[in-house]
Amino acid sequence: MFGVDFAAVGAIVRKDLRQYLANPTGYVFLTLFIATTAAAAFMQEGFFARNLADLAELNKMMPAILMFFVPAVTMGAWADERRSGTDEILLTSPVSEADVVLGKYLGVLGMFTVSLGFSVAHVAVLSFLGDPDPGLMFSTYLGYWLMGAMFCAVGLLASMFTSNSTVAFILGALGCAGVVFAGAEPWAAGLLGTAVLGLLFALGWYVVRAGDVAGAAFAGGLGTVVGLAFWLPSLLPWLHEDGETNRFIDSFSALAVDSHFASFGEGIIRLGDVAYFVGSAAVLLYLCAFLLGRRHW
Amino acid sequence: MTQTERETGPVTIKADKISKVYGEFAALHEVSFEVRRGTVAAFLGVNGAGKSTTMRILTGYLAPTSGAARILDLDPTRHDQRIELARKLGYLPESGPLYRDMTPAESLQFFVELRKLAGGKQHIDRVTEQCAIGQVMHKPIHKLSKGYRQRVGMAQALLHDPEVLILDEPTSGLDPLQIREVRTLIRELGKTKTILLSTHILQEVDAIADRVVMVHDGRLVFTGTREELVKDEGAEKRFYELTGQRAKEVA
Repeated sequence: MFGVDFAAVGAIVRKDLRQYLANPTGYVFLTLFIATTAAAAFMQEGFFARNLADLAELNKMMPAILMFFVPAVTMGAWADERRSGTDEILLTSPVSEADVVLGKYLGVLGMFTVSLGFSVAHVAVLSFLGDPDPGLMFSTYLGYWLMGAMFCAVGLLASMFTSNSTVAFILGALGCAGVVFAGAEPWAAGLLGTAVLGLLFALGWYVVRAGDVAGAAFAGGLGTVVGLAFWLPSLLPWLHEDGETNRFIDSFSALAVDSHFASFGEGIIRLGDVAYFVGSAAVLLYLCAFLLGRRHW
Repeated sequence: MTQTERETGPVTIKADKISKVYGEFAALHEVSFEVRRGTVAAFLGVNGAGKSTTMRILTGYLAPTSGAARILDLDPTRHDQRIELARKLGYLPESGPLYRDMTPAESLQFFVELRKLAGGKQHIDRVTEQCAIGQVMHKPIHKLSKGYRQRVGMAQALLHDPEVLILDEPTSGLDPLQIREVRTLIRELGKTKTILLSTHILQEVDAIADRVVMVHDGRLVFTGTREELVKDEGAEKRFYELTGQRAKEVA
């Protein structure tokens, strides 16, 4: 179906999950995730002041927690393959780039899902303290999972750019930070928009001119300048009137995760919000397969 | 396979004016050669000559900037043909990269699953015996000696019993005993398979190869039989002449 080799994808997923779970570092990350989310959920004044058995306090912090946790899981996904040279064996096996990307993605998503699964213990704590709404808990956890699934794609894409796990972590965290802060801070939305335009211009040139790296760098610079031209007027007081909105900032603010995640935290599952997370992950995974395929140009 | 059969058999590996340019740097410049069925060909050259780049192009890991590569008449730059080729080709990349946290048994099982090989255990048993790795099958790869790691890499390349083998520096970093064992294995495999192995060690040519393809600075400088390479003044002097180094350095 859809040309996906499920056996090969499954083999990669099992291999990666085994590697994560056989490694003490995986358990350190898992423990840190549970501890951090527990602290964010319960060790807040607001949790006891509101006297409601929900995860509203955690919802505020979750994007910021995942912004660091998910890139920590994904940082080695491709960077380690490149560093050790095993990418050469994988990519000369009878599997397509799409299968490799899908396998890698489902591997990191599996690890994230396992971690999130352990954090369901927070619901048990809520049940002990009060009477949480099962529907609200389900939608909240679905929101966490979808947000994590999107961040997994951001982290995997970051891991494609380098053979250094630390650099991959920083790139992944920066990528996630862009969509976490874009809704809260106009400057973050401007920065995200400028980066997206730069990337789109560079990739566009790279596709059209079949691997012209210098041209792509120039096109990326041009995209950045275009982004700055749209963004800067809102930063410079003499170029706009007070209260005037900037469509460029508004457009990229709409890409922020908080506005799409908020409804899940209220027990509402909107198709548009699901489509935002799933669609973003799909676009990012396509970019990953594209980057793997570029070695053929 | 007889010498005549090797000289007249169908072309299995073909590089046709392949070039690879990275920015301003030309790693390969119009390299052309052929390897016929049943031949063990040594791809000889000093470090940085362009051997690994050529092998990566032949296996479909990289695409050439210009020119064409064919193995078993399959074009590794075309997606469908690369997949088909990967089923018939065994590849040991330079320094034998492996998943170091896994054991050889887990690693081979992964490749059995990835390649969807029916009767996976028989395949694993066969290469375990062929590469003599039985006693280390359940030790983590990062705890194995370089020689055993190289053998596990060979086992991975042989797992699907490929028609063609491409081995990038298979004896690099091994001690003399391990080198002898790997050469014996390659000679044995050469009876039934077409093999292209890269090396910068002249003795490898004498020990294993029927034909020699020599590159230097990304250009082809010699292609012919082992006898043609050594006929006049010995392989070593000829090697240094062809790679542009002074003959007196040999002494």
